[in-house]
Amino acid sequence: MNAPGAPIGLSLPRREAGEKATGAALYAGDMVMAGMLHGAIVQSPHAHARILGYDITEAMALPGVRAVVTGDDIEFRYMGLVVKDETAIAKAKVRYIGEPVAAVAAIDVETARRAAQLIEVRYQPLPAVTTIEEALRDGAPLLHEDFAKYTKIYDAPVGRGNLLAHSIATQGDPAKGFAMADAVVEETYAIAAQYHAYMEPCAALAAFDPSGKVTVWSSTQSIFRTQANLHECLGLPMTKIRCIAPRVGGGFGGKSEATIEPIAVLLAKKARAPVRLVLSRNQDMTAMRSRHPGWIRLKTGATREGRLVARECELWFDGGAYADDSPAVMNFALYFVRGPYDIPNVHCEGHAVYTNRMRAGAFRGFGNPQMTFASESQMDALAKKLGMDPIEFRIKNALPKGARWFGGQAVTESTLVEALETARDRAGWIKPLAPAPLGKRRGRGVAAMAHSSAFLSTGAIVRLQNDGTIAVQVGAVDIGQGSDTALAQMAASAFQLPVEQINLATPDTDSAPYNSGTNASRVTFMVGKAVGEAAFKVRDQIIEHAAAMLGVTRDEVSLAPGGRVVVTGGSRRNAEVSFADVAARSIWAVGGPVTGSSAVMASHAMDKSHTKMSGWLSFEAVGIYTFGAQVVEVEIDEVTGAVEIMRAVCVHDVGRAINPGATVGQIEGGFAQGLGYGLFEDMVFEDGRLANPSFMDYKIPSALEVPKKIECVLIEKPEASHPFGARGIGEPPLVGAAAAIANAVANAIGKSITRLPLTPERVLRAMLEE
Amino acid sequence: MTTTRFHAPERLDEAIRLLAADDEARPLAGGQTLVAMLNADLLSPSQIISLHRIAALKGIEKRSDGSVRIGAMTTHAGLARSDVLRDGHRLLAQAAGRIGHEAIRNRGTIGGAVAHGDPSADYPPALVALDAVIEAVGPKGKREIPASDFFQGFLTTALGQGEIVAAIILPPSLNQARTHYEKFARVEGDFATVSVAVALWRGGVRIALGGVGPVPVRSAEAEAELQAGQLSDAAINDAGALLVAASDPLDDVRGSADYRRRLIPRLVKRAIRAAQAKDAR
Amino acid sequence: MSERVAVEFKVNGATHRVSVPATRTLMAVLRDDLGLTGTKNGCEQGVCGSCTVLVDGAPARACLALAATLPGVEIVTVEGLAQGDTLSPVQQAFLDAGAIQCGFCMPGMIIQATALLTENKRPSDDDIRHSISGNLCRCSGYAKVIEAISLAASRLAP
Repeated sequence: MNAPGAPIGLSLPRREAGEKATGAALYAGDMVMAGMLHGAIVQSPHAHARILGYDITEAMALPGVRAVVTGDDIEFRYMGLVVKDETAIAKAKVRYIGEPVAAVAAIDVETARRAAQLIEVRYQPLPAVTTIEEALRDGAPLLHEDFAKYTKIYDAPVGRGNLLAHSIATQGDPAKGFAMADAVVEETYAIAAQYHAYMEPCAALAAFDPSGKVTVWSSTQSIFRTQANLHECLGLPMTKIRCIAPRVGGGFGGKSEATIEPIAVLLAKKARAPVRLVLSRNQDMTAMRSRHPGWIRLKTGATREGRLVARECELWFDGGAYADDSPAVMNFALYFVRGPYDIPNVHCEGHAVYTNRMRAGAFRGFGNPQMTFASESQMDALAKKLGMDPIEFRIKNALPKGARWFGGQAVTESTLVEALETARDRAGWIKPLAPAPLGKRRGRGVAAMAHSSAFLSTGAIVRLQNDGTIAVQVGAVDIGQGSDTALAQMAASAFQLPVEQINLATPDTDSAPYNSGTNASRVTFMVGKAVGEAAFKVRDQIIEHAAAMLGVTRDEVSLAPGGRVVVTGGSRRNAEVSFADVAARSIWAVGGPVTGSSAVMASHAMDKSHTKMSGWLSFEAVGIYTFGAQVVEVEIDEVTGAVEIMRAVCVHDVGRAINPGATVGQIEGGFAQGLGYGLFEDMVFEDGRLANPSFMDYKIPSALEVPKKIECVLIEKPEASHPFGARGIGEPPLVGAAAAIANAVANAIGKSITRLPLTPERVLRAMLEE
Repeated sequence: MTTTRFHAPERLDEAIRLLAADDEARPLAGGQTLVAMLNADLLSPSQIISLHRIAALKGIEKRSDGSVRIGAMTTHAGLARSDVLRDGHRLLAQAAGRIGHEAIRNRGTIGGAVAHGDPSADYPPALVALDAVIEAVGPKGKREIPASDFFQGFLTTALGQGEIVAAIILPPSLNQARTHYEKFARVEGDFATVSVAVALWRGGVRIALGGVGPVPVRSAEAEAELQAGQLSDAAINDAGALLVAASDPLDDVRGSADYRRRLIPRLVKRAIRAAQAKDAR
Repeated sequence: MSERVAVEFKVNGATHRVSVPATRTLMAVLRDDLGLTGTKNGCEQGVCGSCTVLVDGAPARACLALAATLPGVEIVTVEGLAQGDTLSPVQQAFLDAGAIQCGFCMPGMIIQATALLTENKRPSDDDIRHSISGNLCRCSGYAKVIEAISLAASRLAP
């Protein structure tokens, strides 16, 4: 590892904070082009229906309407990450209430929306399956009759009705393990659908140029996934698709794959004009994605000394109408079936199911929050049964360095014990809580978690510019988490330059090297690593040029702060050249422009002799783990069952905090989002129809629901495989939050609630049943 | 193609004339509900008759008989901080302060909210508990409707065609009461899961519940029980059961009917105890 | 489609005369007619607070105000807070406290905070929490937002 210098570790303000504070920042929905039209969508009122035809005459007759797009405008071309099952807009069938079925482009939003209401779609309703149970019933109507024919990148359960994915994995000998157990706990945990609730609803602007190439500016987490999806569903070659991310108002996983870009492109093509399509909040909530709801049956055994010996898990996720990331999310949940513990004997079985409901997809934590809720709830139940302190019990079973992950990868570092001990000390765990005021109950709970940082592939290009500044090109989109600033800090550190002398290009598929996406806690780790590797190549070239210019050997010069290379010894000691001098030499005289590129891939072998798997989507591209522990104190109103979070202590291993302020911001925000997940966020679907499709009815935490202080403690043990020591922290703060809250509630009322969210109603009912 | 026309008359009778002539016309007060419905494409009125210029609908005044007349265009914020509302009448200010958030309270009006007739909103139970009167003005002139008759069903009020809420009148009697508004919602600013407005005075009790039926729920038997039992825990329990029997809650995302029924006696007790803790008059 | 209404009001000190359909909201006028896209559309229902502006000094939801009802008012949007290149004390404090993440809620949040500090020079953390409780932020968990507003208050009234 190269020793990082300034400005690593500084809490610099975000590069774009000024423009965001003044309102000058441009998000996709703020952009305008000459001749631009406005789009609107028509959504399916049916959970499942055959489309018999469209009548668009009235809509087209409305003055100002330029184009209407329906399924008739597209061929059967499919997009998707792991199953290619989605067309650009519904064709032949609709599969959920809210599915976009037609779209309009008109001179203004009002006209487009009005025209959308005039489009008549004729349907033949089909029987719908809106729950996992209904979808699996014998003779249940099929959502995807062509499932067998779809392109799939995993071993899919073809011919098994609406079953979309089915995985089994076994480590050790669970039967033997349970036979050794003195205490066994078994429980079924139910999990609700959470809405991403990024503050910026999905938006896209598409414009064709005269050559037939389309440029799409959209609110996306991945310009390259958008480009790939557009290519797949529209049949355009990638040479004709350019995707750009302007400022993005949050994503949390919901904008990892295509959203409405395909529809915007179809409209722009048909209207022969740029089209901007922005969803209303209601449309975003009913047409896009949620976190996976479902249930997890978990059984765990431990010896009376408190050693975990066996676990069995059966998991069911409702994937909704399209596969999206479901098979991957389900497998990732199974991947963390042991949580951060060393359980020698495990058997798990996971399923994802198609239903006539809006699709579920990637969402901060990617299956791990669901599994961690079940697992950490069960850890407390076991600790109670064994009469052990919950933190002591966790420490006893913490996955140590040198052990293996489920799946067989080596545990290269473990800070779990440190995280738990730090949380215990910081929270004053051994001291009893102050007595609750009259009419209230108090409780304290803990959750521990593990999560990955390295995922898939990425590249970076770093260039020395004529004036000695540095240009960095990456395909990573800063969706608000602060990666642009962190990447600039890493690049600046590599060159000992102030961050102002680093340019970070706008993510653009025309110029950026590939990056899979801003998700999976991966940008600071993966893209940071790529930037580091490319920067070091540029640095080497600068040194080589400088040595030649100064007439010394490479070993006699070194980089100095401020864009200089200085001779460090000998007769020419202190002679120097600037980066600008080097750039001039390279472009006018010798060697050509100083440029470095890198390509990195997370690659970590699984070991099938350690964990037997079938149907398994391999996680070879996952690796580098981080640990954390959270302690939460709650106060419960005995009258209503309402839970207030009084205090939260969040301890997370971040490797090295590149920008500690931004790192803490991720932890505070992640905990708050987990708090909503734990306490009240719940997309209620009634026969496939969302019953709370607005912020009026679906609540996310406000400043009054979060604890007065979220105490963040960073464990900084630099990651050896990262040039600046970082680990990802985007998802971990959410992963364990709901579990910690549930454990605190259980501690307060003496009873554990196994269904998320922990609404006042459920808490009150549990209290009254005692 | 319908075209929405816009009028902002300065005179109340002009507004009434426009509204009475066209049943597709909608009066616009603060717009915090109406515009949200327009944005959601739930309404497409032929005309919007904005009431914001009509002086007769503004202002809060204490009248010589001790009653308070609140102009319909008074904002929630204006009501919450009004020093005309004193003592028992503070119940209404308390309810006003629990509506939505500051920006909503700055523009939303009591007239608009009352005319909307949402049983989970904050004013209806407060007005019923205060025995308030709704002053309505329509093509046939002015009439006064007791709050308990005004709310007739879910989003349904006693207002006739072309009739609007002109003012809310709080009678002087309950000014001497000790009052409290107890609201339980999922999060601050949400509509109530259950709310309780209570007024206690020598010789009487009035309690109205929000969120547990199509209109604010009262029970004469419950109030008599409380009165007879001198607000003892036992009397409150009995009254709670009677109020539960009088309620007709729905299952929705703010709570199940069962949960709401459980909350009623619990919140009634909390509300009564809170009211008692206020200065006796 | 709506009949057009002529309205004149001030936005960030400049007088604008616009001709709007009856149902056009202030948010649409600001964003689409005047090009002031700092005011954000997050929900169209008045719940998220991203479109909060000052109307005659008081915070209001631009998405729930019909432009036709606003003749003669003075509106301040997020674009109207800075003096040239100098950020307002509230804006500067948001930068310094690291409160800004994706930024989409920030125009409304900063307007709300500006209004709070005009009325209450020394707000407690609880005052701040109540004041911004109608401005939803999904990124920050609010901690740094509260810190930023406290910081601005301390700089404004030391």
